[in-house]
Amino acid sequence: MVAQGKIVWVSGPAVRADGMSDAKMYETVSVGNLKLIGEVIKLTGDVAFIQVYESTSGLKPGEPVVGTGNPLSVLLGPGIIGQLYDGIQRPLRELSKKSGSFIGRGITTTPVDMTKKWHFVPTVSVGDEVTGGSVLGTVKESELIDHSIMVPPNHPGGKITNIVTEGDYNIETEIATTEKDGKTISLKMYHKWPVRKPRPIKSRYDPTVPLITGQRVIDTFFPIAKGGTGSIPGAFGTGKTVTLHQIAKWADAQVVVYIGCGERGNEMTEVLVDFPKLKDPLTGKPLMDRTILVANTSNMPVAAREASIYTGVTIAEYYRDMGKDVVLVADSTSRWAEALREMSGRLEEMPAEEGYPSYLASRLAEFYERAGRVRAIGSPDRDGSVTIIGAVSPSGGDFTEPVTTHTMRFIKTFWALDAKLAYSRHYPSINWMNSYSGYLADIAKWWSANIDKEWFNIRSEAYGILQREDTLKEIVRLLGPEALPDEEKLILEVARMIKIGLLQQNSFDDVDTFCSPEKQFKLMKLFVDFYNKGQQAIKTGATLADIRVMSIIPSLLKARMEIKDDEMSKLDQLEKDMEEQFKSITGVKVSN
Amino acid sequence: MASNSTLEQSIDKVLMKTEKEVLLDLKNSGLDSQQTLDNSLPKLEQEFDKIISDGKKEADKIEKQIIGGADIKVRNKQLLLLEEGVDKVFAKALDQISNIDRSGDYANLINNLLDESTKILGTTEVTVFTNAKDKDVVKSALSKFSGAELSSDTIDCLGGIIIKSKDGTMTFDNTIDARIDRLKPLIRKEIASTFGVGN
Amino acid sequence: MTIQGGVQYNKIAEIKGPLVVVDDVENAAFDELVEIETKDGEKRLGKVLEVGNGKAIVQVFEGTTGLSISGTSARFVGKLMEMPVSKALLGRVFDGLGRPKDGLPDPIADKFVDINGEPMNPEQREYPKDFIQTGISVIDGLMTLVRGQKLPIFSGSGMSHNLLAAQIARQASVVGTQDDFAVVFAAIGVQYSEAEYFRRSLEDSGALKRSVLFLNTADDPAIERIITPRVALTVAEYLAFDLGMHVLVIMTDMTNYAEALREISAAREEVPGRKGYPGYLYTDLSTIYERAGKLQGRKGSVTQIPILSMPSDDITHPIPDLTGYITEGQMVIGRDLFRQGIYPPINILMSLSRLMKDGIGEGSTRADHSEVANQVYDAYSRAQEVRALAGIVGKAGLTDIDLKYMDVGDVFEKELLSQATDENRTIEETLGIMWKIVSKLPKNEITKIKDKYVDQYYKEE
Repeated sequence: MVAQGKIVWVSGPAVRADGMSDAKMYETVSVGNLKLIGEVIKLTGDVAFIQVYESTSGLKPGEPVVGTGNPLSVLLGPGIIGQLYDGIQRPLRELSKKSGSFIGRGITTTPVDMTKKWHFVPTVSVGDEVTGGSVLGTVKESELIDHSIMVPPNHPGGKITNIVTEGDYNIETEIATTEKDGKTISLKMYHKWPVRKPRPIKSRYDPTVPLITGQRVIDTFFPIAKGGTGSIPGAFGTGKTVTLHQIAKWADAQVVVYIGCGERGNEMTEVLVDFPKLKDPLTGKPLMDRTILVANTSNMPVAAREASIYTGVTIAEYYRDMGKDVVLVADSTSRWAEALREMSGRLEEMPAEEGYPSYLASRLAEFYERAGRVRAIGSPDRDGSVTIIGAVSPSGGDFTEPVTTHTMRFIKTFWALDAKLAYSRHYPSINWMNSYSGYLADIAKWWSANIDKEWFNIRSEAYGILQREDTLKEIVRLLGPEALPDEEKLILEVARMIKIGLLQQNSFDDVDTFCSPEKQFKLMKLFVDFYNKGQQAIKTGATLADIRVMSIIPSLLKARMEIKDDEMSKLDQLEKDMEEQFKSITGVKVSN
Repeated sequence: MASNSTLEQSIDKVLMKTEKEVLLDLKNSGLDSQQTLDNSLPKLEQEFDKIISDGKKEADKIEKQIIGGADIKVRNKQLLLLEEGVDKVFAKALDQISNIDRSGDYANLINNLLDESTKILGTTEVTVFTNAKDKDVVKSALSKFSGAELSSDTIDCLGGIIIKSKDGTMTFDNTIDARIDRLKPLIRKEIASTFGVGN
Repeated sequence: MTIQGGVQYNKIAEIKGPLVVVDDVENAAFDELVEIETKDGEKRLGKVLEVGNGKAIVQVFEGTTGLSISGTSARFVGKLMEMPVSKALLGRVFDGLGRPKDGLPDPIADKFVDINGEPMNPEQREYPKDFIQTGISVIDGLMTLVRGQKLPIFSGSGMSHNLLAAQIARQASVVGTQDDFAVVFAAIGVQYSEAEYFRRSLEDSGALKRSVLFLNTADDPAIERIITPRVALTVAEYLAFDLGMHVLVIMTDMTNYAEALREISAAREEVPGRKGYPGYLYTDLSTIYERAGKLQGRKGSVTQIPILSMPSDDITHPIPDLTGYITEGQMVIGRDLFRQGIYPPINILMSLSRLMKDGIGEGSTRADHSEVANQVYDAYSRAQEVRALAGIVGKAGLTDIDLKYMDVGDVFEKELLSQATDENRTIEETLGIMWKIVSKLPKNEITKIKDKYVDQYYKEE
């Protein structure tokens, strides 16, 4: 029995309808004569409170509201990769075919092309036992993605009674049937899953493998693990979006879900223009072949912005269940929180801090909990991960505001963007004193096993130089740099070099945009060696002035953009040159 | 809507008649505009000569200003004349409508207006206002609408009716004046394109 | 869209602030245009903010002053608020609601367009990358503007933002194209003299005939300001996407807009966000700023330069803050520079153009542009640090290299930043000055420019 009611009240994206006693919480409904898409978010008596995912201009009391019987769900199957969806999984490309350059209303489309044929290769046979999550076969979805066709997670299990042979089928075709207790279930290449419900898993693992992003300040200093959670808060102009784009471009994941949640339209366009041209550093294939975009830009209806986060994370979980490492980037969770606040305000709920609803913290926690490295349900065994990276846009750049403070409770890597660094064009403007990573200890094992045994020590030394510079800066501020002895001035000098040559990274430079772990380590070690040799030189009589004019310095500082990942021998050469030059300055001094 | 098309027909008829006349007006005004432009050209040349020695850049700037200024003046004059034309057409059309024969088709029109109005208000419990000329036609049409009463007060309009719910909370203006007003932007566009002016 | 309507309701339940609550309303739609009629037959416009359960809350653009509970009526017009658009709008002056203010008749519309517009489909946008040469060095060199961008000016009271915006409007050009160009100017609650300054500036440059002006000045109704940017952008979109023109939209002052929004929110007794501004300020502003852009398969573009005055010069105030999160960069006017008499007084360190990277480089400006700009930023940032240090320890406490940076700061402000209001520099001139600044530094300090460009352009004096 579907609910059939009538609108009694309209205010922006919020609509109340009566005659809705048959409606269920979070059921999607069709609203008004234009058949706008809405979702029931509160029920009182026979009055349903509905958030509408499209503009409600012109909507009138008295117009019909009809239930669909289903909660807000996404369609999961081949054809999702490379798409640009709105917050409720409507493909924007298809929408433009129906309503042109601007987004019209009341348009329905299917999230993927239901008629496209996919080459399906079965991996089960008649008689096999399957359960929810079991893989039935595979489809080559894109150059980069082998898509596992899985039994829906909520399937009761049973014996395969029929399975199609290898061949080309559209996703509406019945590819298999199962039987249990005399009940036959038909399976297609897709299923639907409600977005607000996490997909079930078998078990969780600790995240211990780093997600390599090719960004030095992240990978080397504040790493995030596959299946981990991270947050990147920053005032406007601090380069949040550029950093997130960098992660989406270069992270060593198989699938990237990028959610543009209440952000700029041109940013999504930029991804659409850039990604097909960029090559995945591991496979050399276009990045778009592993990317899914969910865009609900700031001027699109606010309710769909609230849903976009869930749409994105559900798609991410689906690919995780195939045994893939998925990175989900949400830009920005603050805009999502504002959407919550707006709906809460219209529901006339009691506000907590800054007008946000009291359930803001629990909603944030639920969202970040959907990250993790897991063993998927069903057979065969598959391990996959969802890494969640959420941007936060604190108002006024104030990290004590509710969204930032609550987010900090649920994430383990914190990249604090700093307006002062951005103003001085230090990008990425991740502040090395305020940022942290809770995965460092576990991830250090990976670096020492895969890159260099000394990684952790060298990193500690490099970080130590930055920390000491931070304290010394206070003294300089009061007394001027000349008040310091050369040993301490060298700390300032090397810290400056580390900042320019290591921490800073130019995302728009072809070479610098991605830095391999090997190069990251080598560069870092060069600066630490420089520091140690410099201290040594000062001890043996050289002055800081001698060190400052060494011609190796600009070469070291430009190495990040002048030396490519596959030219590591040039870094070795730099090391040799550095040694020579130190020898010469200490040599001169000694002979004097 | 039937009432709409009746009205539009009347207006169309009137438009055709007045069009010729107004076209002539407009031709004259076009000549006027040309005159303005012609007048400004010698002035432009004068200014141009005067300042040519001050350097090319400055001259360009002033040339732009004068041409820009003259263009706008001509255009604005055209707009005013066009509006004059439109007003003339309207005045004539309204004059014709207000003197239209109050029998036959017109009774039909009133009936349609009443029908539409009561549907929009959602009740026939209404008071109806009209002008002195239409009083009789309205009165006879009202018999079909139970609860509807004709007010003894008359209103000043070209024709048609205003209805008001008896509790006084709702009014719907369905006078010919109001309807023309609602259609006016569209009618103006029509007239302008008939004259071949506008954009 | 049209909605069946036209009923006039006579029962006014409440009048508070800019809002009128109408009772016993059976037939009204959300967002519908409303005509409020006073006892004396005066008509005002408004729109429906909330409707249901027999009530409609109407926001009156011209304010509620003089309205009374009895004798006031509200006619629900049966359509959303629309702006008539046509090419003949060029050269015209309108009020803040889009009604003629120049004594000329109503424009004859090519069509009527809902002033709220519809969101552009991000998939249909074309990524903006055509360099607009403003002829102003600091902008062209360090915060390049591109067609379809939204790049606001953050200013403070009394500073020279209008002078700058007017200069941009006069000089902006795209090198190597002959496409039609238009200016749409929206004055939002600014003083008459400021609006008049703009009008005259456009007139003097002969640009008035390709401009459309919307004027809501300080003495005009405050709530009207909610509408002014929207009618202006509706016209801009028409000129750009229907007629293929490149439209520069200047809106000043967005702070007045946000204040009008706050007034309505307060009257509705909504839960406020920061500093009393409504929680939806961000979303609301985005429905204005996001109307900038380019579209695939269409010739024109809408470029926005919104101007806003930061209350107490505070960039963290919600209005500049939320604006900065939506716009593609910002040009920040610095009080210190302004006091020193420098024009344009743009604080480059706080300023930024996000779309610059795609608008510059080989084929549009020059291959070295991005790197030399980075180095200038870096050098000026160092210069500021050194200046601060010199303030404490005196020049004597500075190293030789520090002194070089101080010099760089001075040259930057005198030669690159400073410019006359009628001086139009080419991008080559601008890049030349930038290299001159960089060349003040020893080669050892040049860390952001690849050697090949240093070899080509660096000129030691």
